[in-house]
Amino acid sequence: MDIADVLKHTSADLFLPDLQATDKESALSEMVDGLISGTPITNKETVLQMLLSRENLGSTAVGPGVAFPHGRTLAVQKLTILIAQSKKGIPFDAEDGKPTHLFFMLIAPPQDSGHQYIKSLAVLTDIMQNASLRKSAMKAEGYDSFCVALQEG
Amino acid sequence: MNPQLQLLVAIQDLELMIRDVEDAEQAHEMEEMGFDMGGLDKLKEAHKELQAKLEPRHRSYYRRLTQHFGHAVVPVINNLCTGCFANIPASFVSQTHKEKVLACENCGRILYWP
Repeated sequence: MDIADVLKHTSADLFLPDLQATDKESALSEMVDGLISGTPITNKETVLQMLLSRENLGSTAVGPGVAFPHGRTLAVQKLTILIAQSKKGIPFDAEDGKPTHLFFMLIAPPQDSGHQYIKSLAVLTDIMQNASLRKSAMKAEGYDSFCVALQEG
Repeated sequence: MNPQLQLLVAIQDLELMIRDVEDAEQAHEMEEMGFDMGGLDKLKEAHKELQAKLEPRHRSYYRRLTQHFGHAVVPVINNLCTGCFANIPASFVSQTHKEKVLACENCGRILYWP
C-alpha cells in the first residue's frame, strides 16, 4: 500500500483547510462534523465518543505537529479518512508539548477487511516522518495541492 | 436514536478498542508507529461506567449475545441483518428503529441502523 491507495479513502469533501477549534475535544468535534457533512455517516455522538476514548488510551499526536485520531466504530461502513489543517495550531497533548497543525482522522468499520485501516495509518505515520513533506503538507492550500504535496514526497 | 442503543454501540466500540490493545501483535504495530497505548486502565474504567448506564435487561441480553457472536450489535444494511443476512421485515424499517432496541428475528443480534 502506498499514499495513492490511502488517498482513495478521502476526498475534497473530507478536507478541512482551517479548523477553528482551540482545544482537543472541540477539534475532534469539528472534524466529526466535517465527516458527517462529507459522507452518509449520521451518528456524530458515536464517532466522537470512540475518538475521545482513543485519546484516553494515549494521545494520537505522535508526529511533530501532526495527529492521527483513529479507531473503529459501528457507525461507519467503510474506511474513511478526513484531513484537516489548523493554521494557529491546536493543543493536542503531543509529546513535545507543541500545538498540532495537521490532522489525519481515520475511521474504520469493526470488520477492517484486509487491514486497510492499520496499513493506511502505517503509511501516513511513515510519510509524516519526512520533515520537508510535512512542511509542504501544512502549507498546501486546498485539497488538490495537499494531495500533490503528499505524493511528491 | 434510542439512548440505550447508543450506549450498546459505544460499549461494543470500546470493547473492540480494548481487544485491539490487548492483542500483543496489533499493540506492537501501533507502538512501532509511535502511538502510546498506556491508557488501557482508563478504557476499562470507561467501559464499566458505560455498562452501569445500561438497563439491566439490555446488559444481560448483550452479555448473552457476546457469548455466542463476535459482535452483539450489527448494522442493518440494505434491509439485511449483517450478522446473519436475514431480511429485516418492513415493519421494522420505520421510525420504530429509532425508538426501540430491536433484535433480529432470525439470529437475535441487536440491530443498528447506521
